Amino acid sequence: MLGIFGKLDWKGKQMAIATNETVLEALKKVQDPEIHRDIVSLGMVKDLKINNGAVSFTVELTTPACPLKDRIQEDCNKALAHLEGVSNVEIAFGSQVRGSKVGAGPTDLLPTVKNVILVASGKGGVGKSTVASNLAVALNKLGAATGLLDADIYGPSVPILMGIKEDPKKISVNGGVKLAPPVVHGIPVMSIGFFLEPEQAVIWRGPMLGKALHQLMADVHWGDLDYLVVDMPPGTGDVQITFSQQLKVSGAVLVSTPQNVALADVIRAKTMFDKVMIPIVGLIENMSYFICDGCHKKHEIFSRGGAERAAEKFNIPFLGAVPLMPSITEGGDKGVPILIQDPQSEISKVFLDIASKLAGQLSIASEASSRTESLRIVSS
Amino acid sequence: MSPPMAKPVPTEVNHVRARDKVRITWSDGHFWEYPLAYLRGYCPCALCQGHGASDEKKFVSVPDAKLAEIRPVGNYALEFRWQDGHNTGIYTFDYLRSLCRCPQCGPAEPGPEKERSHEHGNQGRGL
Repeated sequence: MLGIFGKLDWKGKQMAIATNETVLEALKKVQDPEIHRDIVSLGMVKDLKINNGAVSFTVELTTPACPLKDRIQEDCNKALAHLEGVSNVEIAFGSQVRGSKVGAGPTDLLPTVKNVILVASGKGGVGKSTVASNLAVALNKLGAATGLLDADIYGPSVPILMGIKEDPKKISVNGGVKLAPPVVHGIPVMSIGFFLEPEQAVIWRGPMLGKALHQLMADVHWGDLDYLVVDMPPGTGDVQITFSQQLKVSGAVLVSTPQNVALADVIRAKTMFDKVMIPIVGLIENMSYFICDGCHKKHEIFSRGGAERAAEKFNIPFLGAVPLMPSITEGGDKGVPILIQDPQSEISKVFLDIASKLAGQLSIASEASSRTESLRIVSS
Repeated sequence: MSPPMAKPVPTEVNHVRARDKVRITWSDGHFWEYPLAYLRGYCPCALCQGHGASDEKKFVSVPDAKLAEIRPVGNYALEFRWQDGHNTGIYTFDYLRSLCRCPQCGPAEPGPEKERSHEHGNQGRGL
Protein backbone atom coordinates (compact mmCIF):
# COMPACT_ATOMS: atom_id res chain seq x y z
CA MET A 1 0.00 0.00 0.00
CA LEU A 2 2.69 2.45 0.97
CA GLY A 3 4.65 1.43 -2.07
CA ILE A 4 2.93 3.85 -4.34
CA PHE A 5 3.50 6.75 -1.98
CA GLY A 6 7.14 6.18 -1.30
CA LYS A 7 9.59 4.54 1.01
CA LEU A 8 9.47 4.85 4.72
CA ASP A 9 12.50 6.25 6.44
CA TRP A 10 13.77 4.77 9.68
CA LYS A 11 11.32 6.79 11.73
CA GLY A 12 8.49 5.43 9.71
CA LYS A 13 7.86 8.87 8.16
CA GLN A 14 7.10 8.92 4.51
CA MET A 15 10.04 10.14 2.45
CA ALA A 16 9.42 11.98 -0.79
CA ILE A 17 11.05 10.62 -3.85
CA ALA A 18 12.17 12.88 -6.64
CA THR A 19 10.49 11.96 -9.87
CA ASN A 20 10.82 13.31 -13.40
CA GLU A 21 7.66 15.32 -12.76
CA THR A 22 8.82 16.95 -9.51
CA VAL A 23 12.24 17.73 -10.91
CA LEU A 24 10.84 19.25 -14.11
CA GLU A 25 8.31 21.21 -12.09
CA ALA A 26 11.14 22.67 -10.00
CA LEU A 27 13.23 23.41 -13.07
CA LYS A 28 10.37 25.43 -14.50
CA LYS A 29 11.52 28.15 -12.13
CA VAL A 30 14.73 28.48 -14.13
CA GLN A 31 14.47 30.97 -16.95
CA ASP A 32 16.66 31.31 -19.96
CA PRO A 33 18.04 34.75 -19.11
CA GLU A 34 17.83 35.93 -22.70
CA ILE A 35 14.66 34.39 -24.02
CA HIS A 36 12.81 34.97 -20.72
CA ARG A 37 10.99 31.69 -20.75
CA ASP A 38 11.59 28.69 -18.57
CA ILE A 39 14.06 26.11 -19.76
CA VAL A 40 11.58 23.25 -19.44
CA SER A 41 8.97 24.64 -21.80
CA LEU A 42 11.75 25.71 -24.16
CA GLY A 43 12.70 22.05 -24.36
CA MET A 44 16.22 22.68 -23.14
CA VAL A 45 16.25 19.96 -20.47
CA LYS A 46 17.37 16.65 -21.94
CA ASP A 47 18.40 13.19 -20.70
CA LEU A 48 16.91 13.60 -17.26
CA LYS A 49 17.91 10.66 -15.06
CA ILE A 50 17.11 10.09 -11.43
CA ASN A 51 18.81 7.34 -9.53
CA ASN A 52 18.23 7.11 -5.78
CA GLY A 53 18.01 10.86 -5.42
CA ALA A 54 20.93 11.56 -7.73
CA VAL A 55 19.57 13.79 -10.47
CA SER A 56 21.44 14.27 -13.72
CA PHE A 57 20.43 16.05 -16.90
CA THR A 58 21.76 17.98 -19.85
CA VAL A 59 20.85 21.57 -20.54
CA GLU A 60 20.79 22.02 -24.27
CA LEU A 61 21.81 25.61 -24.86
CA THR A 62 20.54 27.44 -27.91
CA THR A 63 24.12 28.21 -28.90
CA PRO A 64 27.54 26.91 -27.89
CA ALA A 65 28.48 30.56 -27.70
CA CYS A 66 26.03 31.05 -24.82
CA PRO A 67 27.32 33.75 -22.49
CA LEU A 68 24.99 32.77 -19.66
CA LYS A 69 25.87 29.15 -19.06
CA ASP A 70 27.14 29.76 -15.52
CA ARG A 71 24.02 31.60 -14.56
CA ILE A 72 21.76 28.84 -15.87
CA GLN A 73 23.79 26.26 -13.96
CA GLU A 74 23.56 28.26 -10.74
CA ASP A 75 19.81 28.76 -11.16
CA CYS A 76 19.28 25.03 -11.77
CA ASN A 77 21.21 24.14 -8.65
CA LYS A 78 19.20 26.66 -6.63
CA ALA A 79 15.90 25.36 -7.98
CA LEU A 80 16.73 21.80 -7.00
CA ALA A 81 18.49 22.55 -3.71
CA HIS A 82 15.34 22.33 -1.63
CA LEU A 83 13.49 19.72 -3.59
CA GLU A 84 12.75 16.75 -1.40
CA GLY A 85 14.39 13.51 -2.32
CA VAL A 86 17.26 15.09 -4.24
CA SER A 87 20.67 14.22 -2.88
CA ASN A 88 22.91 15.21 -5.74
CA VAL A 89 22.63 17.23 -8.94
CA GLU A 90 24.79 16.83 -11.97
CA ILE A 91 24.33 19.16 -14.92
CA ALA A 92 25.94 18.71 -18.29
CA PHE A 93 25.79 21.24 -21.10
CA GLY A 94 25.21 20.62 -24.75
CA SER A 95 24.07 22.88 -27.51
CA GLN A 96 21.77 22.81 -30.43
CA VAL A 97 21.73 26.00 -32.42
CA ARG A 98 18.21 26.94 -33.39
CA GLY A 99 17.32 28.49 -36.70
CA SER A 100 16.08 32.04 -36.74
CA LYS A 101 15.67 32.73 -40.38
CA VAL A 102 12.61 34.69 -41.37
CA GLY A 103 11.10 35.08 -44.78
CA ALA A 104 8.28 33.69 -46.77
CA GLY A 105 10.22 32.64 -49.84
CA PRO A 106 8.93 29.43 -51.40
CA THR A 107 12.39 27.91 -51.46
CA ASP A 108 15.19 28.45 -49.02
CA LEU A 109 18.36 28.98 -51.01
CA LEU A 110 20.44 27.92 -48.01
CA PRO A 111 18.49 25.04 -46.45
CA THR A 112 21.47 23.63 -44.54
CA VAL A 113 22.28 26.94 -42.85
CA LYS A 114 20.42 27.63 -39.61
CA ASN A 115 21.19 31.32 -39.20
CA VAL A 116 22.18 33.89 -41.79
CA ILE A 117 23.69 37.10 -40.45
CA LEU A 118 24.22 40.11 -42.72
CA VAL A 119 27.10 42.33 -41.59
CA ALA A 120 26.30 45.73 -43.03
CA SER A 121 27.12 49.39 -42.79
CA GLY A 122 25.70 52.48 -44.34
CA LYS A 123 29.06 53.49 -45.79
CA GLY A 124 32.44 52.01 -46.61
CA GLY A 125 35.65 52.20 -44.67
CA VAL A 126 34.29 51.32 -41.25
CA GLY A 127 36.11 47.98 -41.14
CA LYS A 128 33.09 45.89 -41.91
CA SER A 129 35.04 43.10 -43.62
CA THR A 130 37.50 42.89 -40.74
CA VAL A 131 34.63 42.70 -38.28
CA ALA A 132 32.78 40.10 -40.37
CA SER A 133 35.86 37.86 -40.71
CA ASN A 134 36.74 38.01 -37.04
CA LEU A 135 33.13 37.49 -36.03
CA ALA A 136 33.04 34.30 -38.12
CA VAL A 137 36.30 33.11 -36.52
CA ALA A 138 34.96 33.95 -33.05
CA LEU A 139 31.70 32.02 -33.56
CA ASN A 140 33.75 29.09 -34.80
CA LYS A 141 36.05 29.29 -31.76
CA LEU A 142 33.02 29.25 -29.50
CA GLY A 143 32.11 25.90 -31.01
CA ALA A 144 29.55 26.75 -33.69
CA ALA A 145 29.85 25.56 -37.29
CA THR A 146 30.29 28.85 -39.10
CA GLY A 147 30.76 29.92 -42.71
CA LEU A 148 31.70 33.24 -44.26
CA LEU A 149 30.26 34.68 -47.47
CA ASP A 150 31.87 37.73 -48.97
CA ALA A 151 29.22 39.56 -50.97
CA ASP A 152 31.12 42.82 -51.15
CA ILE A 153 31.16 43.17 -54.91
CA TYR A 154 32.96 46.50 -54.86
CA GLY A 155 35.90 45.35 -52.81
CA PRO A 156 35.89 41.66 -51.96
CA SER A 157 38.61 41.62 -49.31
CA VAL A 158 37.71 38.47 -47.38
CA PRO A 159 40.05 36.19 -49.41
CA ILE A 160 42.97 38.43 -48.38
CA LEU A 161 41.84 38.84 -44.77
CA MET A 162 41.43 35.08 -44.36
CA GLY A 163 44.55 34.19 -46.35
CA ILE A 164 42.85 32.06 -48.97
CA LYS A 165 45.17 30.77 -51.67
CA GLU A 166 42.96 28.23 -53.42
CA ASP A 167 39.88 28.57 -55.57
CA PRO A 168 36.60 26.79 -54.84
CA LYS A 169 36.42 23.31 -56.36
CA LYS A 170 33.62 21.82 -58.39
CA ILE A 171 32.10 18.78 -56.75
CA SER A 172 29.10 16.67 -57.57
CA VAL A 173 26.28 16.70 -55.03
CA ASN A 174 23.14 14.62 -55.55
CA GLY A 175 23.74 14.44 -59.26
CA GLY A 176 24.31 18.17 -59.69
CA VAL A 177 27.52 20.19 -59.76
CA LYS A 178 28.18 22.51 -56.86
CA LEU A 179 31.08 24.59 -55.69
CA ALA A 180 32.90 23.53 -52.55
CA PRO A 181 34.17 26.58 -50.70
CA PRO A 182 37.80 26.55 -49.55
CA VAL A 183 38.08 26.02 -45.79
CA VAL A 184 40.49 28.18 -43.81
CA HIS A 185 40.92 28.36 -40.04
CA GLY A 186 38.01 25.89 -39.86
CA ILE A 187 35.66 28.14 -41.81
CA PRO A 188 34.26 27.53 -45.30
CA VAL A 189 34.63 30.78 -47.18
CA MET A 190 33.05 31.92 -50.42
CA SER A 191 33.75 35.21 -52.08
CA ILE A 192 32.54 36.96 -55.16
CA GLY A 193 36.23 37.80 -55.53
CA PHE A 194 36.96 34.19 -56.57
CA PHE A 195 35.13 34.85 -59.81
CA LEU A 196 36.91 38.05 -60.74
CA GLU A 197 40.27 38.49 -62.33
CA PRO A 198 42.69 40.17 -59.94
CA GLU A 199 42.55 43.94 -60.19
CA GLN A 200 39.42 43.80 -62.26
CA ALA A 201 36.63 46.09 -61.14
CA VAL A 202 33.04 45.00 -60.93
CA ILE A 203 31.02 47.15 -63.28
CA TRP A 204 27.93 44.98 -63.39
CA ARG A 205 24.50 46.40 -63.21
CA GLY A 206 21.54 45.11 -61.26
CA PRO A 207 20.47 41.99 -63.18
CA MET A 208 24.06 40.70 -63.54
CA LEU A 209 24.65 41.21 -59.87
CA GLY A 210 21.46 39.47 -58.89
CA LYS A 211 22.48 36.46 -60.94
CA ALA A 212 26.00 36.30 -59.50
CA LEU A 213 24.69 36.55 -55.94
CA HIS A 214 22.08 33.92 -56.59
CA GLN A 215 24.86 31.57 -57.68
CA LEU A 216 26.91 32.36 -54.61
CA MET A 217 23.98 31.24 -52.50
CA ALA A 218 22.36 28.44 -54.46
CA ASP A 219 25.31 26.81 -56.19
CA VAL A 220 27.62 26.57 -53.20
CA HIS A 221 27.80 23.43 -51.11
CA TRP A 222 27.93 24.95 -47.64
CA GLY A 223 27.15 21.81 -45.68
CA ASP A 224 25.48 22.03 -42.27
CA LEU A 225 26.19 25.38 -40.67
CA ASP A 226 24.95 26.98 -37.46
CA TYR A 227 25.84 30.46 -38.68
CA LEU A 228 26.67 32.00 -42.02
CA VAL A 229 28.21 35.45 -41.71
CA VAL A 230 27.71 37.57 -44.83
CA ASP A 231 30.01 40.50 -45.49
CA MET A 232 27.77 42.92 -47.35
CA PRO A 233 28.93 45.73 -49.60
CA PRO A 234 28.51 49.15 -48.01
CA GLY A 235 25.41 51.17 -48.59
CA THR A 236 21.85 50.42 -49.47
CA GLY A 237 21.90 49.21 -53.04
CA ASP A 238 21.25 46.30 -55.36
CA VAL A 239 22.99 43.64 -53.27
CA GLN A 240 20.99 44.50 -50.17
CA ILE A 241 17.77 44.39 -52.14
CA THR A 242 18.69 41.05 -53.74
CA PHE A 243 19.45 39.51 -50.37
CA SER A 244 16.29 40.82 -48.80
CA GLN A 245 14.19 39.45 -51.64
CA GLN A 246 15.84 36.09 -52.26
CA LEU A 247 17.29 34.95 -48.98
CA LYS A 248 15.90 33.94 -45.65
CA VAL A 249 17.89 35.99 -43.20
CA SER A 250 18.07 35.89 -39.40
CA GLY A 251 19.10 39.47 -38.99
CA ALA A 252 21.53 42.22 -39.77
CA VAL A 253 24.44 43.47 -37.69
CA LEU A 254 25.41 47.08 -38.31
CA VAL A 255 29.00 48.24 -38.05
CA SER A 256 29.85 51.87 -37.44
CA THR A 257 32.68 54.09 -36.29
CA PRO A 258 32.00 56.50 -33.43
CA GLN A 259 31.69 59.69 -35.46
CA ASN A 260 28.35 61.31 -36.03
CA VAL A 261 28.69 61.20 -39.77
CA ALA A 262 29.13 57.43 -39.71
CA LEU A 263 26.12 57.12 -37.47
CA ALA A 264 24.00 59.00 -39.95
CA ASP A 265 24.78 56.16 -42.32
CA VAL A 266 23.80 53.60 -39.72
CA ILE A 267 20.42 55.25 -39.56
CA ARG A 268 20.12 54.97 -43.33
CA ALA A 269 20.98 51.28 -43.19
CA LYS A 270 18.51 50.75 -40.39
CA THR A 271 15.76 52.42 -42.36
CA MET A 272 16.46 50.12 -45.28
CA PHE A 273 16.40 46.93 -43.19
CA ASP A 274 13.23 48.10 -41.47
CA LYS A 275 11.62 48.55 -44.84
CA VAL A 276 12.40 45.01 -45.97
CA MET A 277 11.60 43.72 -42.47
CA ILE A 278 14.96 42.18 -41.69
CA PRO A 279 15.47 42.51 -37.93
CA ILE A 280 18.59 44.33 -36.78
CA VAL A 281 20.16 42.11 -34.16
CA GLY A 282 23.01 44.36 -33.10
CA LEU A 283 25.32 47.30 -33.56
CA ILE A 284 29.11 47.07 -33.30
CA GLU A 285 31.32 50.11 -32.89
CA ASN A 286 34.60 49.69 -34.73
CA MET A 287 37.75 51.81 -34.36
CA SER A 288 36.32 52.71 -31.01
CA TYR A 289 39.55 53.54 -29.23
CA PHE A 290 43.29 53.11 -29.59
CA ILE A 291 45.50 51.52 -27.00
CA CYS A 292 48.97 53.04 -27.25
CA ASP A 293 51.65 50.36 -27.34
CA GLY A 294 53.98 52.76 -25.51
CA CYS A 295 51.87 54.00 -22.63
CA HIS A 296 49.00 51.43 -22.76
CA LYS A 297 46.54 54.27 -22.37
CA LYS A 298 43.14 54.22 -24.09
CA HIS A 299 42.87 57.04 -26.61
CA GLU A 300 39.42 57.75 -27.95
CA ILE A 301 40.41 59.20 -31.27
CA PHE A 302 37.01 59.70 -32.86
CA SER A 303 34.87 61.03 -30.01
CA ARG A 304 33.30 58.59 -27.62
CA GLY A 305 30.38 56.22 -27.28
CA GLY A 306 28.50 57.54 -30.31
CA ALA A 307 27.43 54.13 -31.55
CA GLU A 308 26.30 53.04 -28.13
CA ARG A 309 24.11 56.12 -27.84
CA ALA A 310 22.68 55.49 -31.29
CA ALA A 311 22.00 51.86 -30.38
CA GLU A 312 20.09 53.01 -27.33
CA LYS A 313 18.17 55.61 -29.28
CA PHE A 314 17.04 53.12 -31.91
CA ASN A 315 16.57 50.24 -29.52
CA ILE A 316 19.25 48.10 -31.17
CA PRO A 317 21.30 45.76 -28.93
CA PHE A 318 24.82 47.16 -28.58
CA LEU A 319 27.19 44.23 -29.08
CA GLY A 320 30.50 45.89 -28.27
CA ALA A 321 33.30 48.27 -29.13
CA VAL A 322 36.30 47.05 -31.14
CA PRO A 323 39.54 48.95 -30.56
CA LEU A 324 41.71 50.28 -33.36
CA MET A 325 44.99 48.38 -33.25
CA PRO A 326 47.85 47.95 -35.67
CA SER A 327 47.83 44.21 -34.98
CA ILE A 328 44.38 43.77 -36.45
CA THR A 329 45.34 45.29 -39.80
CA GLU A 330 48.66 43.44 -39.81
CA GLY A 331 46.79 40.19 -39.20
CA GLY A 332 44.42 41.06 -42.01
CA ASP A 333 47.19 41.81 -44.46
CA LYS A 334 48.90 38.52 -43.65
CA GLY A 335 45.65 36.60 -43.96
CA VAL A 336 45.65 35.53 -40.33
CA PRO A 337 42.75 36.98 -38.36
CA ILE A 338 43.75 38.38 -34.99
CA LEU A 339 41.77 35.68 -33.17
CA ILE A 340 43.98 33.04 -34.74
CA GLN A 341 47.22 34.96 -34.48
CA ASP A 342 46.84 36.22 -30.94
CA PRO A 343 43.86 34.59 -29.19
CA GLN A 344 44.81 36.07 -25.82
CA SER A 345 44.91 39.69 -26.97
CA GLU A 346 42.36 42.20 -25.74
CA ILE A 347 40.89 42.58 -29.20
CA SER A 348 40.37 38.81 -29.49
CA LYS A 349 38.49 38.82 -26.20
CA VAL A 350 36.36 41.69 -27.49
CA PHE A 351 35.43 39.67 -30.58
CA LEU A 352 34.60 36.55 -28.56
CA ASP A 353 32.40 38.65 -26.31
CA ILE A 354 30.64 40.25 -29.28
CA ALA A 355 30.14 36.83 -30.89
CA SER A 356 28.51 35.37 -27.81
CA LYS A 357 26.26 38.41 -27.41
CA LEU A 358 25.28 38.08 -31.06
CA ALA A 359 24.55 34.37 -30.61
CA GLY A 360 22.35 35.31 -27.67
CA GLN A 361 20.42 37.83 -29.74
CA LEU A 362 19.93 35.22 -32.46
CA SER A 363 18.56 32.76 -29.90
CA ILE A 364 16.05 35.42 -28.92
CA ALA A 365 15.22 36.01 -32.59
CA SER A 366 14.78 32.29 -33.11
CA GLU A 367 12.36 32.09 -30.20
CA ALA A 368 10.42 35.04 -31.66
CA SER A 369 10.37 33.60 -35.18
CA SER A 370 9.14 30.24 -33.90
CA ARG A 371 6.13 31.98 -32.44
CA THR A 372 5.22 34.11 -35.42
CA GLU A 373 2.89 32.50 -37.85
CA SER A 374 4.37 32.03 -41.26
CA LEU A 375 2.63 33.36 -44.32
CA ARG A 376 0.40 30.96 -46.24
CA ILE A 377 -0.44 31.71 -49.83
CA VAL A 378 -3.39 29.71 -51.07
CA SER A 379 -5.97 29.78 -53.76
CA SER A 380 -9.57 28.70 -53.37
CA MET B 1 15.78 44.31 -27.98
CA SER B 2 13.52 46.03 -30.45
CA PRO B 3 10.38 44.14 -31.33
CA PRO B 4 11.19 43.86 -35.02
CA MET B 5 7.91 42.31 -36.04
CA ALA B 6 5.59 44.61 -34.13
CA LYS B 7 4.00 45.79 -37.37
CA PRO B 8 1.07 43.69 -38.55
CA VAL B 9 2.01 41.22 -41.30
CA PRO B 10 -0.18 39.02 -43.45
CA THR B 11 -0.60 35.48 -42.15
CA GLU B 12 -2.75 34.22 -45.00
CA VAL B 13 -3.25 35.37 -48.56
CA ASN B 14 -6.07 33.58 -50.32
CA HIS B 15 -6.86 34.08 -53.99
CA VAL B 16 -10.61 33.54 -53.99
CA ARG B 17 -11.09 32.77 -57.67
CA ALA B 18 -14.86 32.52 -57.55
CA ARG B 19 -15.20 36.13 -56.43
CA ASP B 20 -12.15 37.60 -58.23
CA LYS B 21 -10.80 38.73 -54.89
CA VAL B 22 -7.73 38.27 -52.72
CA ARG B 23 -8.47 37.78 -49.06
CA ILE B 24 -5.63 38.91 -46.79
CA THR B 25 -5.67 37.97 -43.12
CA TRP B 26 -3.28 39.91 -40.86
CA SER B 27 -1.43 38.98 -37.69
CA ASP B 28 -3.56 41.46 -35.72
CA GLY B 29 -6.82 39.93 -36.88
CA HIS B 30 -7.73 42.33 -39.67
CA PHE B 31 -8.97 40.73 -42.86
CA TRP B 32 -10.44 42.02 -46.07
CA GLU B 33 -11.14 40.77 -49.55
CA TYR B 34 -9.34 42.99 -52.03
CA PRO B 35 -11.09 43.06 -55.42
CA LEU B 36 -8.60 42.11 -58.14
CA ALA B 37 -9.31 45.26 -60.15
CA TYR B 38 -8.63 47.35 -57.04
CA LEU B 39 -5.28 45.61 -56.41
CA ARG B 40 -4.24 45.88 -60.02
CA GLY B 41 -5.38 49.48 -60.23
CA TYR B 42 -3.12 50.42 -57.34
CA CYS B 43 -0.13 48.45 -58.66
CA PRO B 44 2.90 50.14 -57.05
CA CYS B 45 5.34 49.61 -59.91
CA ALA B 46 6.95 52.49 -61.73
CA LEU B 47 5.16 51.64 -64.96
CA CYS B 48 1.83 52.19 -63.23
CA GLN B 49 2.75 54.91 -60.74
CA GLY B 50 5.25 56.80 -62.89
CA HIS B 51 8.42 58.45 -61.67
CA GLY B 52 6.87 61.63 -60.38
CA ALA B 53 7.54 62.92 -56.90
CA SER B 54 3.89 62.87 -55.91
CA ASP B 55 2.98 60.68 -52.96
CA GLU B 56 -0.54 60.32 -54.16
CA LYS B 57 -1.41 56.85 -55.35
CA LYS B 58 -2.53 56.64 -58.95
CA PHE B 59 -5.27 54.29 -59.98
CA VAL B 60 -4.80 52.66 -63.37
CA SER B 61 -8.01 50.99 -64.36
CA VAL B 62 -7.74 47.42 -65.65
CA PRO B 63 -11.32 46.31 -64.95
CA ASP B 64 -11.03 42.64 -65.91
CA ALA B 65 -7.64 41.98 -64.32
CA LYS B 66 -7.05 38.31 -63.57
CA LEU B 67 -4.35 36.93 -61.33
CA ALA B 68 -1.95 34.24 -62.49
CA GLU B 69 0.13 33.83 -59.34
CA ILE B 70 1.00 35.36 -55.98
CA ARG B 71 4.59 35.04 -54.79
CA PRO B 72 6.21 36.14 -51.57
CA VAL B 73 9.11 38.58 -51.82
CA GLY B 74 11.63 38.20 -49.01
CA ASN B 75 10.10 39.00 -45.68
CA TYR B 76 8.27 42.16 -46.58
CA ALA B 77 6.22 42.03 -49.73
CA LEU B 78 4.12 40.12 -52.25
CA GLU B 79 4.48 39.97 -55.99
CA PHE B 80 1.25 39.72 -57.96
CA ARG B 81 1.66 38.19 -61.41
CA TRP B 82 -1.24 39.04 -63.70
CA GLN B 83 -2.54 37.00 -66.59
CA ASP B 84 -1.77 39.79 -69.07
CA GLY B 85 1.91 39.39 -68.20
CA HIS B 86 2.20 42.42 -65.91
CA ASN B 87 4.43 41.39 -63.00
CA THR B 88 6.54 44.36 -62.00
CA GLY B 89 4.60 45.34 -58.89
CA ILE B 90 6.13 44.51 -55.51
CA TYR B 91 3.42 45.19 -52.94
CA THR B 92 5.04 45.73 -49.55
CA PHE B 93 3.02 44.58 -46.55
CA ASP B 94 2.77 48.20 -45.39
CA TYR B 95 1.41 49.22 -48.77
CA LEU B 96 -1.14 46.40 -48.80
CA ARG B 97 -2.21 47.38 -45.34
CA SER B 98 -2.70 50.96 -46.46
CA LEU B 99 -5.02 49.63 -49.16
CA CYS B 100 -7.08 47.63 -46.64
CA ARG B 101 -10.71 48.78 -46.49
CA CYS B 102 -12.02 46.45 -43.82
CA PRO B 103 -14.61 47.95 -41.46
CA GLN B 104 -11.87 48.76 -38.92
CA CYS B 105 -9.70 50.52 -41.48
CA GLY B 106 -12.55 52.76 -42.45
CA PRO B 107 -14.55 53.41 -45.55
CA ALA B 108 -13.02 53.47 -48.98
CA GLU B 109 -11.13 56.60 -49.86
CA PRO B 110 -11.94 57.97 -53.32
CA GLY B 111 -11.38 54.52 -54.56
CA PRO B 112 -11.56 52.38 -57.60
CA GLU B 113 -15.12 51.23 -57.17
CA LYS B 114 -16.31 54.79 -57.18
CA GLU B 115 -13.88 55.91 -59.81
CA ARG B 116 -14.82 53.08 -62.04
CA SER B 117 -18.52 53.60 -61.70
CA HIS B 118 -17.82 57.25 -62.38
CA GLU B 119 -15.97 56.32 -65.55
CA HIS B 120 -18.75 54.01 -66.55
CA GLY B 121 -21.24 56.72 -65.80
CA ASN B 122 -19.37 59.09 -68.05
CA GLN B 123 -19.28 56.50 -70.73
CA GLY B 124 -22.96 56.01 -70.27
CA ARG B 125 -23.54 59.68 -70.79
CA GLY B 126 -21.43 59.58 -73.87
CA LEU B 127 -18.86 62.05 -72.53
